[in-house]
Amino acid sequence: MPDILTVLSNLFSLTSVLAILGGICGGLVIGFLPGLTSNMAVALLLPITFTMSPIPALLMLTSVYASAIYAGSFSAILLHTPGTSASAATVLDGFPLTQRGESNKALRIATFSSMFGGAFSAIALLLLAPPLSRISLMFGPAEYFFIAIFGLSIIGSLSSGGVVKGLLSGILGLLFSSVGLDIDSGFPRFCFGYNDLHAGLEFVPAVIGLFSMAQALVMTEEVQKSIQRVETPKSSEWRVFPRLSEIRQIKTTLMRSSFLGVLVGILPGAGGDISSWVSYNEAKRFSKHPEQFGHGSLEGISASETANNANTGGAMIPMFTLGIPGSPTAAVLLGALVIQGLVPGHEMFDRHGSIVYTVIIGFFLANIVMGFMGMYSTRYLSHITTLPNYAVIPVIVFFSVVGSFSLGHSMLNVMIMLSFGFLGFLMRKINMSPAPMILGLILGPFAEKGFRQALILSRGDLITYLLKSPISLILIALTILSVATTVYLGSRLTKSAAPPEEYESLTGEKH
Amino acid sequence: MRRSLGVILSFAVLVGMFCVGSAAAAWPEKHVKLIVVYGAGGGTDITARLLAQGLEKVTGKQFVVENITGGAGWVGWSALAKAKPDGYTIGYLNIPHLYAGYLDPKMKRTENLESFTPIMNHVDDPCIWAVKYDSPHKSLKELVEAIKKEPGKFSIANHGYGGDDNLAVLDMERMAGLKFNVVHNNSTTISRAQLLGGHVDLLGANVSEVFQNHQNKELRVLGVMSSKRSPFLPDVPTFKELGWDAQWASTRGVGAPAGLPQEIVKPLTEALVKVINSPEHQEKAKQLGLALDVIPSAEYMELMKKTEQRIKTLMGW
Repeated sequence: MPDILTVLSNLFSLTSVLAILGGICGGLVIGFLPGLTSNMAVALLLPITFTMSPIPALLMLTSVYASAIYAGSFSAILLHTPGTSASAATVLDGFPLTQRGESNKALRIATFSSMFGGAFSAIALLLLAPPLSRISLMFGPAEYFFIAIFGLSIIGSLSSGGVVKGLLSGILGLLFSSVGLDIDSGFPRFCFGYNDLHAGLEFVPAVIGLFSMAQALVMTEEVQKSIQRVETPKSSEWRVFPRLSEIRQIKTTLMRSSFLGVLVGILPGAGGDISSWVSYNEAKRFSKHPEQFGHGSLEGISASETANNANTGGAMIPMFTLGIPGSPTAAVLLGALVIQGLVPGHEMFDRHGSIVYTVIIGFFLANIVMGFMGMYSTRYLSHITTLPNYAVIPVIVFFSVVGSFSLGHSMLNVMIMLSFGFLGFLMRKINMSPAPMILGLILGPFAEKGFRQALILSRGDLITYLLKSPISLILIALTILSVATTVYLGSRLTKSAAPPEEYESLTGEKH
Repeated sequence: MRRSLGVILSFAVLVGMFCVGSAAAAWPEKHVKLIVVYGAGGGTDITARLLAQGLEKVTGKQFVVENITGGAGWVGWSALAKAKPDGYTIGYLNIPHLYAGYLDPKMKRTENLESFTPIMNHVDDPCIWAVKYDSPHKSLKELVEAIKKEPGKFSIANHGYGGDDNLAVLDMERMAGLKFNVVHNNSTTISRAQLLGGHVDLLGANVSEVFQNHQNKELRVLGVMSSKRSPFLPDVPTFKELGWDAQWASTRGVGAPAGLPQEIVKPLTEALVKVINSPEHQEKAKQLGLALDVIPSAEYMELMKKTEQRIKTLMGW
């Protein structure tokens, strides 16, 4: 480890501080706007950093990453339109609070959780990167298959509109995920002669459609009304930090979700979306009040927001040490490292120590500073929920279209977004949750690829191959446990007078 | 009425002159769009952005990299083929990834090589085979012997059906009489993780993707599939040296829509040569492990046609 004074003088130089602050501002704006993702935020800034020296360049990009993931919660909570796809799970509990006029409570919980998760992951990155990076190598095809199955077992507990509808939504998601060229044979699946679909249905425009566009359509039904249905109650006056009583409610969730977020972050390819859903489910399973989930549970908000920010540092662990990006955004960051001439690997911490440690400590600070900058901006931002719907709808639609277009610079993604928007609207009309569909879309390719690669590598003896690693066995046990507790919780909830409105509370119609 | 007719006429003449003037003026007059069919931060994107930076310095006009992704590259390549051949839309052609999208009869695509004006090849990144550093197989010869002894036991990670790594495997299977269990990943970083984690026996990739890992002794490159040794892996023999003439690579070059007039091809080529030969560009490419391989227009087309033919025979398309 290099001299701590060198690191600090690197970090507190004018260019570094400006890079962090500029990165946070950019990240907050892009993250907040529904449709513009963290991936895009980093990709947009990437060319700008070409001419910068490595330290400010990487400080800026990592600050953008952290703050975009954080700011995704603002629009998830305030508008039911996740600002980044990683905040989709935050919608479930954040939006009901906004409708009750308690958006500030939801925002300060999200802020505190994001800061905590992000800072936790920065510490993990600083102290434990080389040993933790081994985890990313332990996961082979069998392990990926079982972690995807474990993720899919969450569907049961997310099915707020009834188990059958939930499963149907999940299966449709899996089906959509199988569109595109089959990687093993080059065969176009479900493309119907439409060649542009060869790369498959992109996941991000699907999420923008299912949440943001569908929300805009729902809002057109009552254009004169506003999102917040009541006067802001006195109890939820604005404050930067959560009350002690609130922190006490979420303290175990914070720890559990930070840990899960970092762990999922380390796995190659598994980004903030997966960690927030997994941690949301685990929070619900271990909660004393699982019945509050989906109706404004603070633990639910905290679980999702802690985990997606903990994912950011986690995803950088294998990126720095092995050159293997732990999330799609980390893949773009890896490009930045390569351009700067920094070669990922175990020696990176020795050879470029002063750069790497400056960036990691800067990333830690960015996670703290973004919370304050974000919280002060939400004080004014949250007024949009009191605006009439007719003023908000065009803005959501505009950014949904722009966001999906800029993903691949083609109308294809806009079409995908609009189709999923219409589908999402219909699903809300029949009280079917979009969450299982998103899980199916994310996890389908992981499960399929893992299973097919396992089939090839097992050379005919699939069962032995699948069961030979202890990680697989643990994941199988967790899956069984997950399904069992869902069934148990389900029966307990129906006995103890389940809340009358199930998914309606999300759509904001029956209040 | 007459007066207004006169105004219209003189205006038309003025516009006409302006158009003629612009056609005769030297390219480029405005910003140029450079299409990359893969996402930001990837190998092609980084190469393209380096090139764009240099071109801006040389021509004084902006070169905007546009990542048009999807359709296994062909959303972007279609956009390039359909663009006006006026020199303001150019793009990267990735060989051999371009071929599968139109050679495979399943695709029923109307575009082909003739839809583009090849300008210049830029980068040549040969295929390699690598094993984990602690693997018992220290040379290609030993490995091939072991595979022949137990056909169907060895697995190799590739980057998708019909890609350069996969073509190399098929070619070697045919030439050396081998049989592999091939697993496909959509990113070489995942394949590399599978090799380092011991989930697969071999990795099929390209020089720029592994030369650092080879130097760090994390994996061992057994052979390079080019006509001569790679400057980035001077200690690694070529497949040809060892008796198998397998030559496969991922190459990236610049192309334009078909029918780009010669008066634009010429200044564009000159600008490209100037950038690629600049010491800055050479230095950056060296850092990234990219072998620059400048092949001008006509020969570039010939090379692409030759590769097309080899792939047709190998894949039976």
